[in-house]
Amino acid sequence: MFNKKRVINILLTILTLFLFIYTIFPFFVVIINSAKPSFVINTDPLALPEQWGKLIENIKIIWTKPTIRYAQSVYSSVIITISSLTTIAIFSAMAAWMLVRTKTKTSKVVFFLFLSGMVIPFQVVMFPLVAEFRMINEAIGLRMLRTYHGMIIAYIGFGSPLAVFMFHGFIKSIPLELEEAATIDGCTKPQIFFKIIVPILKPIVVTVLIMNALWVWNDFLLPALILGVGQDIQTIPLAISAFAGSFVKKWDLIMTAVLMAALPIIIGFLFGQKHIIKGMVAGSIK
Amino acid sequence: MYGFELGDDNMSRQSKEKIYFWLFLAPALLAFIIVVIIPFFMGIYYSMTDWTAIAGEEATFIGIENYKSMFTDTAFHYSFIRTFSFTIISVLSINFIALSLAILVTREIKFKNFFRAGFFIPNLIGGLVLGYIWQFIFKSVAPEIGEIIGFQWLQDALLLTESDTALVAVVMAFTWQYAGYIMMIYVAALLNVPQELIEASQIDGANFFQRLRNITIPMIAQAFTISSFLTLVTSFKQYDIIIALTNGGPTSEFAGEIVNSTEFLAVYIYNVAFKYNRMAEGQARAVVFFLILLVVSIVQVYYNQKKEVEM
Amino acid sequence: MKKLLSLLLTLVLVVGLLAACGQDEDKNDGDTNTPAAEDKEEDKEEPASEPDKEQEVVIYQNKVEIHEQLFAFADAYTKETGVKVTVKTSGGDSPYAENLKAEFQSDRQPDIFVIEGMGGYNTWKSQLGKFDGDEWIDLTSLEFAIDGDVIGFPVAVEAWGMAYNVRILEEAGVDPATLTSQEGYKTAFEKIDSMKEELGLDSVVSMAAGPDMRWVTGLHNFNGYLSAGLEYGDRSVLDKLLAGEADEARLTEYADWVELLFNYADRGVLLQGNYDAQVGAFAMEKAAFVHQGNWIDPWLAENGVDFDMAYAPHASVGGEHNAIFIGAPSYYVLNVNSENLEATRAFLNYMATSEAGHNYMVNEAKMIPAFTNVTLTPDAPLSANVATWVAKEGGAYTWLQNDMPDGFGMGTIAPIYEAFGKGDIDKAEFIAQLISKIEEIQ
Repeated sequence: MFNKKRVINILLTILTLFLFIYTIFPFFVVIINSAKPSFVINTDPLALPEQWGKLIENIKIIWTKPTIRYAQSVYSSVIITISSLTTIAIFSAMAAWMLVRTKTKTSKVVFFLFLSGMVIPFQVVMFPLVAEFRMINEAIGLRMLRTYHGMIIAYIGFGSPLAVFMFHGFIKSIPLELEEAATIDGCTKPQIFFKIIVPILKPIVVTVLIMNALWVWNDFLLPALILGVGQDIQTIPLAISAFAGSFVKKWDLIMTAVLMAALPIIIGFLFGQKHIIKGMVAGSIK
Repeated sequence: MYGFELGDDNMSRQSKEKIYFWLFLAPALLAFIIVVIIPFFMGIYYSMTDWTAIAGEEATFIGIENYKSMFTDTAFHYSFIRTFSFTIISVLSINFIALSLAILVTREIKFKNFFRAGFFIPNLIGGLVLGYIWQFIFKSVAPEIGEIIGFQWLQDALLLTESDTALVAVVMAFTWQYAGYIMMIYVAALLNVPQELIEASQIDGANFFQRLRNITIPMIAQAFTISSFLTLVTSFKQYDIIIALTNGGPTSEFAGEIVNSTEFLAVYIYNVAFKYNRMAEGQARAVVFFLILLVVSIVQVYYNQKKEVEM
Repeated sequence: MKKLLSLLLTLVLVVGLLAACGQDEDKNDGDTNTPAAEDKEEDKEEPASEPDKEQEVVIYQNKVEIHEQLFAFADAYTKETGVKVTVKTSGGDSPYAENLKAEFQSDRQPDIFVIEGMGGYNTWKSQLGKFDGDEWIDLTSLEFAIDGDVIGFPVAVEAWGMAYNVRILEEAGVDPATLTSQEGYKTAFEKIDSMKEELGLDSVVSMAAGPDMRWVTGLHNFNGYLSAGLEYGDRSVLDKLLAGEADEARLTEYADWVELLFNYADRGVLLQGNYDAQVGAFAMEKAAFVHQGNWIDPWLAENGVDFDMAYAPHASVGGEHNAIFIGAPSYYVLNVNSENLEATRAFLNYMATSEAGHNYMVNEAKMIPAFTNVTLTPDAPLSANVATWVAKEGGAYTWLQNDMPDGFGMGTIAPIYEAFGKGDIDKAEFIAQLISKIEEIQ
């Protein structure tokens, strides 16, 4: 009995390991190929690179080329990601809390409005959005395109439906007694929210932040429209696309750039892995 | 202390609540309205005009003209069918693998946190990039592997040139990306299954599969609803991976026409608008796409919630 | 209605911004601790706060591969004349056409942008300015003109034919001079094919018709149907096509050519190869021919390819051929709303008439300029060979592929080639499908 269980466990570990290798394999392919000359990549995809030094060289090329502006795009990506994440999380949590705790028709309608946003495909809104942003500039002289605030407002708009939905689900399960007690103690609504609710929301906040971080950091189409390819403010995916020519693909450089773009977020993930997974596990379902 | 307190005692409780309600909603709701809702209605309007998206050219209202052509458009019908097949296959495959992974990493195995993290990592890669990686794997690496393990079929196969294998390839790449994320939802649900229930059933002599069928699955029904909703919507809207992996190809024959076998709706709409430079018509297809997505997701959620209750 | 909408919008926006921007500022205060970051922030504010006091020419172009060179050239121009020229490039995975539309929606429209032919002209008609009396116009025959109005500045001269590896043909005993008709090609292909092993080849021709390469079949190869065997500038077949009429006899001859190319191509490269795979097969001497233009020169140079190569004519239809397809791939056009029209035209004129401009086009960007006053000659192998074809009497067939309706080449007919290449349809069906697509045009 005892032994059988052990055998099963070993077998399961092996199976997990196998699936794990399958998951990791594409990364392995990227890494070995970012250190090879362009056309060896196509003919000898699985061979180990002859010189790993090529990888460092490629990284240097990408980092320093003035036409790619990689360093600057890292800076812009960080600004945009951090600002969007913070605002999405705070604003959506505020909205979701109010929507859960207010039992009126209006509240229901607003919640469904948000939900409907989850099924509106990006394709329907993308061009009208750019046209609208331009109209805003013409009407009141506020530039929305090619600016940080325009980009961030766009992310709040596209990010809030799912975030509100997730916060909504989580907040529903928070017992009302806590807030009632606080109201009796004379706390105002904002105090209740920031003092009592926000600390409870921690796990779901982590989930929302991660989901949005992945999206914002890797997003291409939306910044391509709002910020424009080759303009002053560039995110990393825009910078990558700027040198990934349509016909001539410098695969070694593209693979290296892919690696460089993914690395911060992978390191960030591994670093806070325990916390993040705990948060996701606690937050993703309630 | 927190800034915007409304301290006026004369104000009635109700109107105060109302003001707080809108204050809390305002930032998210306004951004959402500006960025999604207004453009959405503008888009519907444009779909009934001869809009060209070129600044300075006025759009003239032409009614439902743009909607008519889709009834005779074979490529649109085919894209519709393929999108549904793709969505169904990926919802099944992602949820099956995600649940299996979740069951594996919630058992008492070594390094389970390490594995959980590992399975999640593909999620960190953006769709375009991921598509390129997998294109490379299917075209160059797969035949190489076939050669190494001496599997002739794999060695000779041009996986991305047949409509069925290409569809499977897109499903594989998408599953690879998304299963780790869905796994987390199942892990959360599995950890919520009360340990006593499982122990009790063990004492009753239930085996692994009986336990799965009778305890675990009913207990994680809600996770099924969320996961299948997320995978459904994401599959249906899939764009990036396809563009990079198959670029809509390979070709196939449908109703006597040569069609593109992985040109799913999102890609198709894009092509109508840009490849053929028919913006307003593309906009009209996008509106229809939205309606379909809306109906499918409502049906799915409704059905699943009903089932949840039954279990 | 419109007023109401903008009023509503304004209202919504102002309130929204109070919330959103306030948050934003807080964020930046917290983030800009490092002096470096602060500096950058200021850099970015500058152009936003004082829009275009000095003259600035913005060029929005689509050739990713020359971005760097053009950037450097513009920089030098600024230093010399004081007129700022900003180069913005979009290509690759962000389709130029759609980005250009977004660009026109934005607050600073480009002064110069790119169209490729009639398709682009029809889309952008309302925004295009005219050139008049510019010096370069007399130096070229490739300008884009409509009813006598000069609209487009030719970016370069490009050409394609059947590029061949001189050594391989020699070893196989094939005389390139025989490659002037379908019969000549057939004999040569058969001979090379029978010697594949001793020559170390995978296939005779490196041809691509897969989803990534639809421009090769739907645009370039199909252009053979439109212009091969005709006088330079003859648009009769194209005009018929635009009227929804197919020339069945000509299409049948043309289909033989497509079949010949497909039969002697490597199946993998043909059906799923990308640019790297197609050009790579030729570069590594695994194929004796490649169906590509002289734009592959930089790729070849970068990968250290230095064997001799040259172009033979495409035998797209029956009869004898002694010309390759030569034309301008794209044109710089003026934005009619530009506030710097004079400076913009001066910049383009400088490119065409100055030594620095010639040096940029020939030696830096590795292009063949479309101007007769250029004395520099390209050193890259295929471009150099194109120059000899340009000089030859009657050595050119017209480029008409960019004058087909939008999406017709790559979207509508290219999949038919792929299906034919796979063997899903036979030659008769291939011809029938092409005819039915052409007839749908009207």
